[in-house]
Amino acid sequence: MRKIIALKFSLFLLLLLELSGCGISDSAERIVPQRLILTGSSTVAPLAAEIAVRFEGQNPGVRIDVQSGGSSRGIADVRSGVADIGMASRPLADDEQDLFSDQIATDGICMIVHLDNPLISLSDEQVKSIYLNEVSNWKEFGWEDAEIVVAHKADGRATLDVFVKYFKLKNPDIKADVIVGDNQQGLKTVTGNRHAIAYVSIGTARYEVENGAPLKLLHSGKIAPTPSTVASGAFPMTRPLNLVTKEPPTGLAKQFIEFAMSAEVHDLVEQQSFVPIKN
Amino acid sequence: MAKRPLSEKLDQLVGLLVRSSSALMVGMFLVVTAAILRNGLSGLSMEFLTTIPQDSGRGGGIGPLIVSTVLVLGICLLVSIPLGVGTAAWLSEFSGSRQVVTKSIQLSLDLLASIPSIVFGLFGMVVFCQKLNFGFSILSGGLTLACMVLPIIIRTVYFGLRAVPGDIRQAGTALGMSQTRILRSLIIPTAMPAIVVAILLGIGRAMAETAALIFTSGYVMRMPESVFDSGRVLSVHIYDLAMNVPGGETNAQRTAFVLLTSLLVINLCASQFSGRWLTGRRA
Repeated sequence: MRKIIALKFSLFLLLLLELSGCGISDSAERIVPQRLILTGSSTVAPLAAEIAVRFEGQNPGVRIDVQSGGSSRGIADVRSGVADIGMASRPLADDEQDLFSDQIATDGICMIVHLDNPLISLSDEQVKSIYLNEVSNWKEFGWEDAEIVVAHKADGRATLDVFVKYFKLKNPDIKADVIVGDNQQGLKTVTGNRHAIAYVSIGTARYEVENGAPLKLLHSGKIAPTPSTVASGAFPMTRPLNLVTKEPPTGLAKQFIEFAMSAEVHDLVEQQSFVPIKN
Repeated sequence: MAKRPLSEKLDQLVGLLVRSSSALMVGMFLVVTAAILRNGLSGLSMEFLTTIPQDSGRGGGIGPLIVSTVLVLGICLLVSIPLGVGTAAWLSEFSGSRQVVTKSIQLSLDLLASIPSIVFGLFGMVVFCQKLNFGFSILSGGLTLACMVLPIIIRTVYFGLRAVPGDIRQAGTALGMSQTRILRSLIIPTAMPAIVVAILLGIGRAMAETAALIFTSGYVMRMPESVFDSGRVLSVHIYDLAMNVPGGETNAQRTAFVLLTSLLVINLCASQFSGRWLTGRRA
């Protein structure tokens, strides 16, 4: 009995070795593929991965590996040379000006509330007063007597940086009830709580609304949160989705970045709910 | 006489508590499974299991991800089982009177077992991806996971080996068997169920792991060509679909269903295997 089991196990091991082994010899026979590594923003990663698939299709023998981990990590990895290209869903900070960035798309950020909420728009001052807890009840906006549940992003998130910068708030002053990480978490907080308010990427919020989520995107003053107002620059709160390199891009990196900025991928940008940059 | 009813009541109360806690346990499992079954079973097909993901995972299947998961898990077990069983055997059988060493090893194992997996992820990224230059690869991911499950495997196997009655060792010594022979022919076979449990716990932990793999085996959804390629595992896929991809929920649920089912199958196979092993020994 034991021998049979031992035999089976060694067969399994052989199979595993075979699997990994044949792969190695395969790639050795072929030309070693040209490889490009991207790391960074989890917002940009799905879009970059789709662009990479199309790019690989057009350039046989090229491998574009898209990793994730956050904008700051993308920038750190570009600096240390771990990645050829970093992905950042925010503009370069003051101490990152030595790097080179190319914008591949724009993402708008808007306030969202539950569909039951009669509110249509909020002025900048109103948003500020909610996040500073100067106003804490929906009654003051002419709705029912209920506490406003304020959702705020976790530290280090690119959306938070954009939000705080736009409203000229200091992060420690913000009185939040819920701290959320990714976009999807912000959306789920509001769909699950009638009295919540949050700020999220316009594209993802619109996608959720189209798929029946009980959400409402608030106008910023009089400007509606739509791809066209984001594209024209009329909508105030936006952020660039950037590809970052240590040196001015050359070779394969240059080819890929140019491809990612070209009209050839605008459908992919829209498919991922972002706004393409049209010249 | 006055005390009796009180102690009986206490017994009843404890009985009730114990029963309700196990009922709660089963209930929780059923709720989770039902939710995943309800949402994950629809649209699940052979095609989903074999094709490549499309549109950031919203469409298409999870074929390459299954291959990546199997490879990562294979490397993890290939490294962690021999190392784990070896260390446990040394701790249990060969360390002799070296109490200080044994105690410090056990302490470090307990500490290692309680380290959050993201720390292993960062460690794996620095050591395997950067220092050893494996890059984002299935190899790096498997080795990182091996580091993570080692403490669990060693601990479980160690307790299994310690639970082997001392009589068996004495009998072996009386027959003039060498220590190696006693270990190989008497102790390890007797402790086999514990070893199987240890491997199962390791597999469970490894397959459920997300944080340690994001930074090591990575995000790439392409079919891996070798263990030096980056490959996304199922749990990372579920995480990414649920957190970063709007509209990714349906496929996240389907993938969760596949992950849960394969864990269940592995568990069933292993209990079958260890059961047969035991009866085989007795016969």
